[in-house]
Amino acid sequence: MQLGFLVDLRLCMGCKGCEIACKVENEVPLSTWRLRVKYVDVGSFPETKRTFTPLRCNHCANAPCARICPVSALHYIENGIVNIDKERCIGCAGCMMACPYGAIYIDPVTQTADKCTYCAHRVASAMMPSCVVACPVEANIFGDLDDPMSNISKYIQEHQSNVQVRKPEKGTDPHHFYVGGGNVTLNPLASFRAEGHSLFNNLTHLPVGGHH
Amino acid sequence: MAHEIIAATNAVVVLDVALPGIVWGWIITMNMWAKSIGTGVIFIAFYLLKKYPEQTGFIRLPSVVISIVFIHLFLFFTVIDLHQMFRFWHIFFHPQMTSMITIGAWLATGFVGIILSMAYFLYMKKDEAMYDKLLGYGVILAVPVTLYTAGLMAQSTARELWQMPTESIQMMLAAFLAGSAAMILVGGNKFSDEIKKDLALILGFSALTAFIMYMLELVFGPMKAEEVIAALEFVKGGEYTFMFWLGQIIAFLIPMALVCKSIMDKSYYLLKIAAVSALVGLWITKHVWLVIPQLLNMS
Repeated sequence: MQLGFLVDLRLCMGCKGCEIACKVENEVPLSTWRLRVKYVDVGSFPETKRTFTPLRCNHCANAPCARICPVSALHYIENGIVNIDKERCIGCAGCMMACPYGAIYIDPVTQTADKCTYCAHRVASAMMPSCVVACPVEANIFGDLDDPMSNISKYIQEHQSNVQVRKPEKGTDPHHFYVGGGNVTLNPLASFRAEGHSLFNNLTHLPVGGHH
Repeated sequence: MAHEIIAATNAVVVLDVALPGIVWGWIITMNMWAKSIGTGVIFIAFYLLKKYPEQTGFIRLPSVVISIVFIHLFLFFTVIDLHQMFRFWHIFFHPQMTSMITIGAWLATGFVGIILSMAYFLYMKKDEAMYDKLLGYGVILAVPVTLYTAGLMAQSTARELWQMPTESIQMMLAAFLAGSAAMILVGGNKFSDEIKKDLALILGFSALTAFIMYMLELVFGPMKAEEVIAALEFVKGGEYTFMFWLGQIIAFLIPMALVCKSIMDKSYYLLKIAAVSALVGLWITKHVWLVIPQLLNMS
């Protein structure tokens, strides 16, 4: 079994329901996120468009975070999920330096690394991840990539010419796919990001552990 | 490529969460800086004791003391940078050998064992022959201890700026630079002119080579990946430009000039200034190179 995720960006409407469901399900502390939806505006008035991109851990087959972790706190479980053992983590932040997707953060409460686990605890109880359940338009598709009859495998087959992963050049072999994505949505360097107040919040940098 | 896309699409992030700031900051800089001195002084001591055994016997004790102090500083900064520092023992009891952090911890432990043994045989047993024998093993182990940080930076897949070949050479050069500088400062005027010239040349050539490498990365690095372009923009007119050039000048250019002048004038005083300048500048240079790729948005 190899669990994977697919987000159809053509369906996503940026409601952030997945974000909130994830926060609640996993008790993610304030200022940190396992899953977030990024809004990027494209074009010049009146030809403008707003894009929405849910971003979470890619659960790579060749995960740099699992490789760099000195104590195997980040490890694979049998269904392909890259899980984290917070009791073992020493908080070296090597995983944060290794992850090309910025998907890992230091939990300010436990002072250990944390990230999306595809809701491994729910999956173990044969439930879908909370973000999948919360999505009102079924833009999040989750399932077994090894099973050709699973929803995700069929979706990938149907949209083969339009399926992408983030940063394929890194060789991480992500198990998280996007349909309808493009450079603007999937490449963080392809959009301008100015610090300061924007749509609803302040785009800024957070101090991490006070070690500046 | 990303620049052209932004120009063409006017893509602007309008809603997102705050990004993590600098994860590995000045504590990791201290770690690398202290390690350069701790292993570098062993390299230089080995060289001097082999080439000038009659004149350099007095460096045995200060060399090993400096190495012990700075390797322990390196270990101290390694541990205090952990968000869960009291779980440090997990590295030894739950080790994952694919990680350069684990490998580095084991290597550093072995190195500490050797330098402590050197100190023991020299100070307690007055056994210089055993000290010299252990020094050989110390040099062999000092090489991977110096290099493992480059491996760790290379394993940091997200930071395209740090590549193993360049970082490993920079780590070795930093060790030679810091080791020769430390030896110049502890040697006082006890060294002969010939030894002073040797130390000056090691310092000068290490500075020159490191400077050339940084300049080459500055010019040719952006030709390889857009993330390198973006990272180097922080030192090409960005917020770390002043600090980058300050580091290059203090670590490399001033020592190079002073080394030349000191050899011409046979001035040991100038050499000491060069050594202090190199040590201060090395910290600044390392810090800038450590920080800039962390300022990029990864997602």
